[in-house]
Amino acid sequence: MPSPAIDDDIDDAGYVSGLPGVLGVVDAAVARIEAVLLAVGVLLMALNTIANVVGRYLLSQSLFFSEELNQALIVLITFAGISYAARHGRHIRMSAFFDAAPPRLRKAMMVVIAAVTAAAMFLLAWYAVQYVSAQASRGRLLPALQIPVWWIIVWAPLGFFLTGLQYALTAIKNMIHKDIWLSTSTLEGYDDTGEEEV
Amino acid sequence: DTWRYAFEEAMDEVQGKFAQKFKEEIEANSDHEIQLFPFGTLGESADTMEQAQSGILQFVDQSPGFTGALIPEAQVFFVPYLLPQDEEQLASFFKNSKAINELFPPLYAEQGLELLTMFPEGEVMMTTAEAVTGPDDLDEVKFRVMTNPLLVESYRAFGATPTPLPWGEVYGALQTGIIQGQENPAFFIESTKMYEVTDHITRTGHNNFTTAVMANKDFYDGLSEEDQTVIADAIDAAFDYIIDYQKGLTEESLEKIKEAKPSITITTLSDEERQPFMDTADSVEQEFLEIGGDQAQEILDQLKADLEAAADS
Amino acid sequence: MTLAIFGTMILLLLAGFPMMIPLIAGSLIGFVALFGGMGQLDTMVQQILGGIRPASLIAVPMFIFAADIMTRGQSASRLIDLVMAFVGHLKGGLAVSTAAACTLFGAVSGSTQATVVAVGGPLRPRMLRAGYGDSFSLALIVNASDIAFLIPPSIGMIIYGVVSGTSISELFIAGIGPGVLILVLFSIYSWLYARRHDVPTEPRASWPERGRAMRRALWPLGFPVIIVGGIYGGIFSPTEAAAACVLYALILEMVVFREMSVKQLYATAKSTGLITAVVFILVGAGAAFSYVISFAQIPQQVLGGIGIDEMGQYGVLFTISIAFFVGCMFVDPIVVILILVPIFAPVVDSVGLDPVLVGTIITLQVAIGSATPPFGCDIFTAIAVFKRPYAEVVKGTPPFILMLLSVAVLLIFFPQIALFLRDLAFDK
Ligand code: NA
Ligand code: NA
Repeated sequence: MPSPAIDDDIDDAGYVSGLPGVLGVVDAAVARIEAVLLAVGVLLMALNTIANVVGRYLLSQSLFFSEELNQALIVLITFAGISYAARHGRHIRMSAFFDAAPPRLRKAMMVVIAAVTAAAMFLLAWYAVQYVSAQASRGRLLPALQIPVWWIIVWAPLGFFLTGLQYALTAIKNMIHKDIWLSTSTLEGYDDTGEEEV
Repeated sequence: DTWRYAFEEAMDEVQGKFAQKFKEEIEANSDHEIQLFPFGTLGESADTMEQAQSGILQFVDQSPGFTGALIPEAQVFFVPYLLPQDEEQLASFFKNSKAINELFPPLYAEQGLELLTMFPEGEVMMTTAEAVTGPDDLDEVKFRVMTNPLLVESYRAFGATPTPLPWGEVYGALQTGIIQGQENPAFFIESTKMYEVTDHITRTGHNNFTTAVMANKDFYDGLSEEDQTVIADAIDAAFDYIIDYQKGLTEESLEKIKEAKPSITITTLSDEERQPFMDTADSVEQEFLEIGGDQAQEILDQLKADLEAAADS
Repeated sequence: MTLAIFGTMILLLLAGFPMMIPLIAGSLIGFVALFGGMGQLDTMVQQILGGIRPASLIAVPMFIFAADIMTRGQSASRLIDLVMAFVGHLKGGLAVSTAAACTLFGAVSGSTQATVVAVGGPLRPRMLRAGYGDSFSLALIVNASDIAFLIPPSIGMIIYGVVSGTSISELFIAGIGPGVLILVLFSIYSWLYARRHDVPTEPRASWPERGRAMRRALWPLGFPVIIVGGIYGGIFSPTEAAAACVLYALILEMVVFREMSVKQLYATAKSTGLITAVVFILVGAGAAFSYVISFAQIPQQVLGGIGIDEMGQYGVLFTISIAFFVGCMFVDPIVVILILVPIFAPVVDSVGLDPVLVGTIITLQVAIGSATPPFGCDIFTAIAVFKRPYAEVVKGTPPFILMLLSVAVLLIFFPQIALFLRDLAFDK
């Protein structure tokens, strides 16, 4: 058995947006950007952490911004990632009872799940906007980087909104298409990992 | 009503003692109830501050070092050798200072906060792996400081390698030796067991940890005059209580440390030994004037005047 | 309110909602009930962001990244071949080695989640190939990773020490006894499992074969050196050791073994980011939920009515165990410690319990709770990393939880399991 990590890579080039026309092009582009942000975020985080060690031992100089930069990156990764995960049906769920239900009920449940999740994400997106703008108006700075705090959390509303969008589209897709869709591009039972979906 | 009060330390540390006294006074003299939220139970320092700003919390205790991100002037308390170590002088300064009672409140008000009081929490001491008698002993010593530009500048000027580290990792890092030093008041070194993983405590007298208690401004302004008086009285009572509570607290904490770890050395530097450290204060003061906001100069001058007045009285 | 919150959460979870939704819904209900409307939901966002920001959490994506590089390349398999050369002929040898590796790695890294990915990542496929069932392997990895809490350095013990004013050094030493006891129990269970399911053994490797395995593993043996030597040697923090492993893994796989291309590096980083995101959004949502519990003072209310002051030592210890166990099933362990320890402190004091013993029991309960359904954080880490359904990750857990709980009970009746080493070291 090959190691599980390898064959489960998502092929971004092969990603087909669930949306028609121009919207689909925009959506595919957003998907591409999310993927790049994820990869670059992780690489930068490793680089930043290593640089801090090197600085401390070779230059007797700690990188004071290192911790803040990692905080910025983890926020970026998390919020680029939740939308990307929604797009590819990768969010963690407990599907034991769901899977045991008959197909028609499953489809109805999927519509409800996707719609409710979308609503929750939009709600959080809205309050994340409030939170970010409150931060901006208070003018709090990151102590080491000396940049406004809101710069590094602005991904939160964006991530919630894009995630909500993916779930909303999933609900619609389940309503107008036959089959059961986990996300706009992932069919239930579609096996891109050689293992069960989660 | 139920009023909520968050602080940055555990219940039995100085801020917790202050908060408990405040609660006791308020509940004895009004129908209001106070709920206390110690360190970490409602998020980090910056989080509780925001919650106080948005009115979820009515009261918050936050040290100016953390407030510096919002009110740069508050960082003045990190300028080394500004505050005296004499407890009575300190108490009189905090009570009567024009800078604290007149200049700071408008700055806090701009952030939606009513500054109720500032009080000292005790002399800051260095704990290190090797003995320290002068800046030379700090050469190449990785010294954990909070990520505040002035603290960083201070320790750089002292000759150390200031090293940022999240608080939760300090104990482990001292134990394994990633860092060889950190600074805190004696009660905190004792209560957080920092002394278990360090060998020398040095009293350089460079600072006294200061903290501030604030209320949400809209909440405070919306209170009846009667309630405002209850709060003011409770703050006064808690202030006197905490000054009294701290009398001898430093020595007591050091004794407890010595008892728990007899091998530890506790050294008070002489004036002569302190001089080289004191000589670096100017550079940090300059740094403060640069990053301390519009009123940095005014605050610094007033503080110095207030301190002189406190020394004379 | 409490019942409405927990009921809704369990219902949403069982209905198959993405796991962030039960946590978010629980917090939403709490915020709306506490503040009489949606006016303060920005604070919920604040808590979600605050939940994912702590610097020590950065070790998690870094170890995921390092483990993924090692597994895609040759480092991991060479290391495991080496282990197999020595234990492959023993019944249950691989399972016992996995448990031991989780304990060791967890001890050093201090992070249970990092252990699940760093040790479980490479070893789980090998266990499957050797004939162990998946739910057994998953449960073993998840639960053995939790021994990390008990063996120093332990962030849980540090927080407990600070909040309760207990010596952290004594706590560290007291954790070793129960930690080792759990490892022994897990090993016995693994051996029994291997016997009962007749997991085949490999032929005993000859010494020349072992020598060859050793030579092949020479480069990858740098990993344990970096992690154990680096952290205990005072060179790295656990997070930095993780990043150093990433660098070392990249050098091995891209330069020495020439196993990984830049394109694969990109894919690995992206996959790490994805796993990180789906786990961290749950950590963030969990933080928002913890806030509600803390703000509403629910633990104080629940514990207020049970008359703990009337109980004797055993009663208090059992109550503490249950409270922490239940708390950690839903809420982040650190937050549970911060909230509950001060509540129990007076009664621990008044019945004359040794705070070090209490700290050890609490740490053990916290460890058990983190691997316990429904919201144990190690469970969702395992789901994200191994891409296995929730039910399957959880299925093999009961025997392990049973073993852990029996250690907890043993500890209550035989405190010397924890205190023996402490008394020895501190002359008590
Ligand atoms: Na550990
Ligand atoms: Na948990």
